[in-house]
Amino acid sequence: MAISALPADYTPPASTSKLTPAVAQPAGKLIAVGPAFLAHIQLTKLHQGDFKKYDDATAEARAAATPVGNGVEDDLGVGEESEDEALLSLDPKEWKKQDQYRVLGLSHLRWKATPAQIKIAHRKKVLRHHPDKKASDKAETGVASALGLNINTNDDAFFKCIQKAHEVLTNAERRRQFDSVDPQFLEEIDDVPTEKDFKKNPPPFLPTFAPIFKREARFSKTQPVPELAVPTSGDSPSSDPNDVQGHEFAHLKAHVGAFYDFWYNFDSWRSFEWLDKEVNEGSDSRDDKRYTEKKNKSERARRKKEDIARVRGIVDLCLSVDPRVKHIKQHEKELREAKKAGGAAKNGPTPAAAEKSKKDAEAEKAKKEEEEKAAKADAKKAKAAAATAAKKARRAQRAVEDETPA
Amino acid sequence: MAPKPTPNGNAAQATEATPSNIPAVVGINFGNAYASIAVYTKEGLAECIANENGERQIACAIAFHGEEIYVGNQAMPQLVKNAHNTITGFRNLLGKKFSEIDQSKAASSAPLIQHPTEADTPAYKVEILQPAPSPLPTSATNTPAASHAPTPRSEPVPATRILTPQEATTLFLTSLLQSASDFLGKPILGAVITAPPSFTQTQKEALRKAAEDAGVRVLQLLDEASAVLATTTSPQWPHGGEDRTQLVVDVGASSLSLSVIALRSGLGYILGSKTSTTVANIGGDALSSLLVKHFAKEFTKKTKTPLPQPPSSKEDIRATTKLLLALEYTKRTLSASPAPASLSVESLHSGLDFTATIARMRFDLLATPVYTAISSEIKSLLESIALDPHDIDEITYVGGTTCLPGLDSHLLTSVGFTEEVQTAFSNSTTGSGAIGDPTGVLSIGCALQAALLLRVHEESPELVKAFEQSEEVKTTARTIGIIFPGGADSQGLGGTYIPAIHKHTPLPARRIHEVEVTLSGGEGDKATKFGFELWEVEEGIKVEKAAVLKSESPDDEDDEDDEPEEIKTKTTTKRSFLGAVLGETKGTAVKDKTKKGAYTATLQIEVTLGSDGVLVVEARDSKGEKVGELRVV
Repeated sequence: MAISALPADYTPPASTSKLTPAVAQPAGKLIAVGPAFLAHIQLTKLHQGDFKKYDDATAEARAAATPVGNGVEDDLGVGEESEDEALLSLDPKEWKKQDQYRVLGLSHLRWKATPAQIKIAHRKKVLRHHPDKKASDKAETGVASALGLNINTNDDAFFKCIQKAHEVLTNAERRRQFDSVDPQFLEEIDDVPTEKDFKKNPPPFLPTFAPIFKREARFSKTQPVPELAVPTSGDSPSSDPNDVQGHEFAHLKAHVGAFYDFWYNFDSWRSFEWLDKEVNEGSDSRDDKRYTEKKNKSERARRKKEDIARVRGIVDLCLSVDPRVKHIKQHEKELREAKKAGGAAKNGPTPAAAEKSKKDAEAEKAKKEEEEKAAKADAKKAKAAAATAAKKARRAQRAVEDETPA
Repeated sequence: MAPKPTPNGNAAQATEATPSNIPAVVGINFGNAYASIAVYTKEGLAECIANENGERQIACAIAFHGEEIYVGNQAMPQLVKNAHNTITGFRNLLGKKFSEIDQSKAASSAPLIQHPTEADTPAYKVEILQPAPSPLPTSATNTPAASHAPTPRSEPVPATRILTPQEATTLFLTSLLQSASDFLGKPILGAVITAPPSFTQTQKEALRKAAEDAGVRVLQLLDEASAVLATTTSPQWPHGGEDRTQLVVDVGASSLSLSVIALRSGLGYILGSKTSTTVANIGGDALSSLLVKHFAKEFTKKTKTPLPQPPSSKEDIRATTKLLLALEYTKRTLSASPAPASLSVESLHSGLDFTATIARMRFDLLATPVYTAISSEIKSLLESIALDPHDIDEITYVGGTTCLPGLDSHLLTSVGFTEEVQTAFSNSTTGSGAIGDPTGVLSIGCALQAALLLRVHEESPELVKAFEQSEEVKTTARTIGIIFPGGADSQGLGGTYIPAIHKHTPLPARRIHEVEVTLSGGEGDKATKFGFELWEVEEGIKVEKAAVLKSESPDDEDDEDDEPEEIKTKTTTKRSFLGAVLGETKGTAVKDKTKKGAYTATLQIEVTLGSDGVLVVEARDSKGEKVGELRVV
């Protein structure tokens, strides 16, 4: 209600009079019914008709009734993510290609997102992008549409994308399939350092490899996965693997051994069903279907094999440049030499030396294995080289043959 | 363009209450002829529910037929063939002594007798068949156990059963409670039951005892006016929170109770009430008997078979009962739709079928004596408490008879309410299970009250007593109003008028009014000053006589009805000046270009009138800081 201003020459009436005394009604009594009556008797009986006391008491009661917290729901750290034009104009038909986490606004959590977080994120997105909401948005964005920017052209397309993403991420199996080919992961594994990088100007060992192994660890069927860095034991807070002196030798050796043991026997759940080719829809042909299925199966197997080789390659590389392994070898060599010298003098190894020799044997075995592997690789390379050489020779011969008749 | 980000965790809370939050209470409107029950539904709203037979209006009748007991509407057809074993109208006999009961009215139901063993106690005697003794217990191995007794009789045994009205009530309420707990799916924790204001303390005790025997905790016995108030002040009711004066018209089967209730921010008290049971042509039964007379005449005309009214022979009584039962549906059809309603009875009398239709117009004509009786009762009540029909802001109808649109239009014109008066018809809430339906008002009110009381019992048991017996309160004698001098003046009061505390408001009272004022004066270009006066005003009704327009057709000249039409308008006149509040506050510039340079501020004016009669007026700005104050002792 708007009320006009007081006149400039206004003066209140001089005489004031008293209130007409309140009357007791002939019928008299209030009807003892309803919440207003409850409020009335609380006011009169408990607080002697003092509104201030009553207000305080009701505020207190309300505060006691409402749970602790500022009333904002805990969103489990889902947060808000910006949505750019590219994201909003996603085509729901191409839902397999979309980044399901990005669509739900979970790109900062990705595979770490818990089901509860996914639920919250989905609800948040739905609240914003439900087609019912869009109708009301249209009115607000009248200016934009007047400027020719119809932002609602794809109407509920993004909502469909959200629903698809939710469908994928809430199904454990389908989520695993998507996580296997998570676009961010694929991007990350592209820039793994190669042997070449280490030959010229070797990057620092731990900062290079720790994130790589951490990334791969998610696919392990057995959890937790041993870490690359040697866990600091007791009062030697050193996480630098180069600082091998900081650790007790046996501890270091055990850890490094266990680490490589784990990674050479890495058991991964990564699978490639996501990249399967769809069977032509509408085609009833059983043969067609079987053919596609067969192809998919072999493709999956091929990819899996590639993946295993990829991980193996990383581990190999890591082992080859691991300063700790070098240190262990060095140390053992020293011990061996010392033992030899000592053995000549003492004629017989000490129990400690015996143990060391055992370890040496193990290390040697590992080394042998390594060498074997290297040899194998070399053989492979040689074979390939031979094949190419043969090819070249054939080609050359053919060229010669071609030339002669001319 | 991305939608603007909403703050973290802005997801709206689910409005649906979890089933466990729904109070397991029942509100029972226990009338003499019909009852209804209301519970809290899954949506968390009190609603009048249908029993398992699909009836919202459950007839208060119990019939015994052989081994069977019929309760509710199923018992009504038994009145035709099995009248002597059918009990109706037992509520009004609750807690009464046999000698107090007027036996002159011949009832068509089971005979009322002096209880054979208890002194001066009324009782019904019904003939029943006792079930045969239960079959012999069988052993676990599925072979008959050895018999200890002679072979039992398989035929049920004829017996007589003596029922006091209280036992009948218990039987009836048990069935109602069963329906309610079946609907809720859990046991009932408490009930509120209506009791008519004419009930004495012993009668109320008898009702309470009967209900407790039925296995429910009685939280309160409410009289009808209170139950209506509980419904009409609830937020579910249209305009539920507004201050208004309400007329409750409760037309029962045999009684009419009227109350005028002043509703002041949810608090209500009775300005005047009247219950008439003895006046001729009051209530649904009177309406039915008028209709029966009409149809009996029609039947005689059609078939040349006499059906005298009142009936004399046994066959006539049976025919009349049949007609009455069929009329129940005719009345409901007439309330629900404007189309003519039909009435058909198979083999009404001497094996002759009877079918007839009746239009609303004809029906209203027949019912005029009842309508007139009700309107004259209303007039006399309003006169006795010195209220003008124009003071009534809302009419609340209660009971099935008031669902008739004819009654509403008759009352509006003959008593002379304003056109703005709120009724179930103007809000079009009749004829559904919803809150505004006249048939469900009482039971819904009881359910609301039951839920409230259950909470009070848990949270502050010390206040329970106050619900049993409320104390007398003082109320304001005159309306206290705020006048902003210089403002738009519609009533000749020298400014904009806002009623602060209405007449008849119980003390202590507090009202907060939020107004936007234009500021004036002040230093420089910024206006900061505001001011208002407090007055006691008197509200009246001005009657102007307007000449009736001369009718154009000459035929009407015979009507010597040139009584001038009365035009009533509400008036407000200043009585005494209580004081003025002048203050300063910071305003905001008005964005409107036509009022350049004007500053406005939103003021919260809190008017508190304590029970000691001290009036405190405080004006606060939008930040809650006090900018003006006035005390009137």
